[in-house]
Amino acid sequence: MRLANKIALVTGASRGIGRGIAERYAQEGAKVAIVYNRSKEPADQLADSIKAAGGEALTFQHDVRDPSGPATITEKVIEAWGTIDILVNSAGITRDGLFLQLSDEDWTDVIATNLNGTFFFCRAAGRHMMSKRTGSIINISSVAAQHSNKGQSNYAASKAGIDALTRTLAAELAGRKVRVNAIAPGFIETDMTESVRAKAGDVIKGAIPLKRYGSTADIAAAAVYLASEEASYVTGQVLVVDGGLSIGAVA
Amino acid sequence: MSQDEIFQKVTTTLVDALGVDEDEVTKDATLQGDLGAESIDFLDIVFRLEKNFDIKIPRGDLFPDEKLFSDPNFVQDGRMTPAGLAELRNRMPFADLDEFAKNPSVKELSSLYTVETIVRYIETKLKG
Repeated sequence: MRLANKIALVTGASRGIGRGIAERYAQEGAKVAIVYNRSKEPADQLADSIKAAGGEALTFQHDVRDPSGPATITEKVIEAWGTIDILVNSAGITRDGLFLQLSDEDWTDVIATNLNGTFFFCRAAGRHMMSKRTGSIINISSVAAQHSNKGQSNYAASKAGIDALTRTLAAELAGRKVRVNAIAPGFIETDMTESVRAKAGDVIKGAIPLKRYGSTADIAAAAVYLASEEASYVTGQVLVVDGGLSIGAVA
Repeated sequence: MSQDEIFQKVTTTLVDALGVDEDEVTKDATLQGDLGAESIDFLDIVFRLEKNFDIKIPRGDLFPDEKLFSDPNFVQDGRMTPAGLAELRNRMPFADLDEFAKNPSVKELSSLYTVETIVRYIETKLKG
């Protein structure tokens, strides 16, 4: 097991990519704190399945837009398990629309959830990791941060913000042996991308050099690597996991 | 709490925060020059002092904010102006600024951040 006895906190862990990472971390021996917002039932079910397999899990309901929660949640995790070794910021939303038609809420909700939420948890866990002189933070970005998707100005801006935040935090925390990296998934088979995949049919799949959509397991594998000692010399990076989509290959 | 007790606790704090040996932590040791503190270490020192002494240290209270040193009223040509020095004395009444005032170069600011400065700051905080 590659994360035996590690303590991980994963936001957005009840569904999609965050869930895939939480499940895999537990399989690799980590104790997992599951942070969810609206999906209580899937979060409880995930915690139950981790425990049934002999692992340990805690659940926390929290809206990541709220800056007051992360300090309390990290304190509770430390109280229960003694430390936090790994933070994964995976909570994210989309509110797609051409930018001229985006409402104020469409913009601010996406920035507040994806970018502010990531910052708030990095700050809370980073403070602890800094003092412990160890830790790995993994922020879930997107290929949309670097490549244009019409109708995703809010989402792309939030994810580009995450990339910049990741690099800056990596520089600030490197002296304390805390590594900060991001993963930029391409098209992953989750609820979030379902409508886009349905609309585009095989067009997107055809543009992906590896000719398939990614799975949450593909992202979880990258997240295990970045959290593990095998990535002990990797910080400030955005690891693209997109089946080659972003290399811009032309047939 | 006596000054000696405060010093002992500050020493423990700095040993934990900076990974230095206890005998390196003398009262006149500077945090950066002698104890090798980097910018992020200053934050850790503040967090640990808050915990160890059960006090709240507002941002910029112990170690002045960088903003002070980018204000052209307070710093010109890399040196603190008389107004800057007055502001520094105002913000750090617990620090001995007399030596620094003779050559108030911003580069020399690190000489103000000594173990003694922290001890005196904690003393004033505990007296309330």
